[in-house]
Amino acid sequence: MSGITWAYAINQWKPQFDDFVRREQHERALKTMSIAGFRGVELTTGTGRWEPLGNPEQLVANFGSLAGFRSFLDDCAIDRVSSWFWNSQERSMEHLTGPLSPLQETDLPVMVERAGWYAEALAELGGSVLVVRPTPDAGDVPPLDDDAIGRLATCWQAVGRRTAEHGIRTALHVDFLSGLRRGDALDRLLDRTDPDLVGLAVDTGELAVAGIDPVGLIRTHAARVQHVQLKDALAVDVAEEYLQPHAHWTVRVQGGAQEVPRWFAEPGAEGGLVDATGVVRALVDIDYAGWVVVESDPSPHPAESALLAGYLVQRELDPIATGSAATAGA
Amino acid sequence: MTQLQSAERRIKWSYMDHWRSNGPAGPVDQWHTVKTMSAFLKQIKATGFDAIDTFDFRIWQMYGTYGGPAKYQEMVQDHGLERIVNTFHAADYDTRTYAPHLPETHENILEDFRVTMGRWSEIELDNIIVMPATLYYDMEPVTEDKLKHTADLWNKVGEITAGYGVRLTCHHEFFCGIQSEQDIDAFYSFTDPEYVSLFVDTAQHCIAGLDPVALYNRHAHRVSGFHFKDTRNVATGDDHRHRPDSEIMAPTTGKWFYEMGTSHGLVDFEAMMTAVRDNAYEGWISVEHDKANKEGGDYSESTAISRWYAANVLERIYS
Repeated sequence: MSGITWAYAINQWKPQFDDFVRREQHERALKTMSIAGFRGVELTTGTGRWEPLGNPEQLVANFGSLAGFRSFLDDCAIDRVSSWFWNSQERSMEHLTGPLSPLQETDLPVMVERAGWYAEALAELGGSVLVVRPTPDAGDVPPLDDDAIGRLATCWQAVGRRTAEHGIRTALHVDFLSGLRRGDALDRLLDRTDPDLVGLAVDTGELAVAGIDPVGLIRTHAARVQHVQLKDALAVDVAEEYLQPHAHWTVRVQGGAQEVPRWFAEPGAEGGLVDATGVVRALVDIDYAGWVVVESDPSPHPAESALLAGYLVQRELDPIATGSAATAGA
Repeated sequence: MTQLQSAERRIKWSYMDHWRSNGPAGPVDQWHTVKTMSAFLKQIKATGFDAIDTFDFRIWQMYGTYGGPAKYQEMVQDHGLERIVNTFHAADYDTRTYAPHLPETHENILEDFRVTMGRWSEIELDNIIVMPATLYYDMEPVTEDKLKHTADLWNKVGEITAGYGVRLTCHHEFFCGIQSEQDIDAFYSFTDPEYVSLFVDTAQHCIAGLDPVALYNRHAHRVSGFHFKDTRNVATGDDHRHRPDSEIMAPTTGKWFYEMGTSHGLVDFEAMMTAVRDNAYEGWISVEHDKANKEGGDYSESTAISRWYAANVLERIYS
């Protein structure tokens, strides 16, 4: 038996704010994931009426209740929501709040309250992990000194404590623009947080773009890995452009000096840099038990990406996870 | 996965291989390169199909790129699919040379099948599928004599294909000369059950104004396969005889065909599957959604939706 359960991230279906708002589109995306073999769906937080799946209030507005949304998932043969990716640095129209920074002590009470809001809903939706963006982009804040790491640790400890009240784990997601990519910042933050409250979300594509080997990270931080997002990377930030101000737009969105048209793709994509089989072998070796959420993030052809990823999971990755790889055949 | 193993199931699912994907220079089909073929086969396998169907005219690409049907089938099997089940003989009907209701063209058609069956003989096919009549406007008025000439031809063709172990089966497009209930019934009364079978395309019959379930029940003993696909429109007026083309050029309807499981579909697939069960049919059901990319559609998504519907709705009725 494998401790890995496979999910797919919904975010690839919503490239722009006014896309992917209609029920039929959600239904077709969820059915596509389901028939490709994925049991769960990872949601991404969002705000306002064009984000029907973005937060508990919008789910209730669109599906009558959280149970109504769960029933909708059942109707699409998706077992549960695996996880919710929460970027606190985006505003909330529902709460009339602006960006919340984990570095700002004054934002802490609202951060904790908001995390609890998501965690409570996530628990009702069958999920287990709140995936959080642990720090602003590296280029938008000074290097994370010990004081800054201390503030981050305080924030995520408090968030982790609140989500744990609902049985939800908090996992730090290090993306390729993250300030935690700099030096030993990630290690220092992990050292100052309680493993029972704060874990690590390994995003293979983000790490690969950052020039970090995800397999090595999994093995190094085996005890802290609480969530995995498996996607491929198509380019590396070789010039450390992540240190530029506003890199979200100039580098992530616009492609930086390399003019990279697409940083990420579904695992196994042509030209991909991530060793997906190596990642799964490493997860098996550390006895990882939890979700592996496959992503493309985003994709010009979401259904194609989901099906190609499904093929890879069914034919190569799940046999490794279940220990049947040697006998897996047609 | 809790699905029964392939060998234990009474119904297996094949995908009729219409496909488009987006290449760097615009849309391409799966035959564009070996990589695009691999991506196509991966997606078909990922959704749980057991096999594929194909078209006769692809045989040249099979020879040119893969070394022939057997070699191409090896690639299909390397992707976890069982085999090629059926081939569709998409003929260029022409009243000068190739028209089943015109006896003077029969020898040309018979020779075509002698050659064609030889080309396919290195693999095992279940059916070779044909549209049994020319375009409607080239056959009208449809008379008993024309139906008898047509039946006579397909009886002979069926004898040729049977010699290769392949069943000749007829697929009645809504725009072909034999598409009304009366003419279909007459055609099968004139053909030999040993050599001529019916291949039920749920959407085509529905567009032609027939109930595909009733048609199937009436001819179940003659049915050797299905195309399960949906439609949202029934042909009206001269849709079935629109010149030069009805299938993609009818003024009333820009897109006739949709994947099984689409919203607002007219085919009652649950009733169809119940009929398949009640008639004790065992074997292959082919899923098709040709022209799925029209009007913004996406083949990958349509394939996922149709197979989802088969797995989550139809297999609960009969599998």
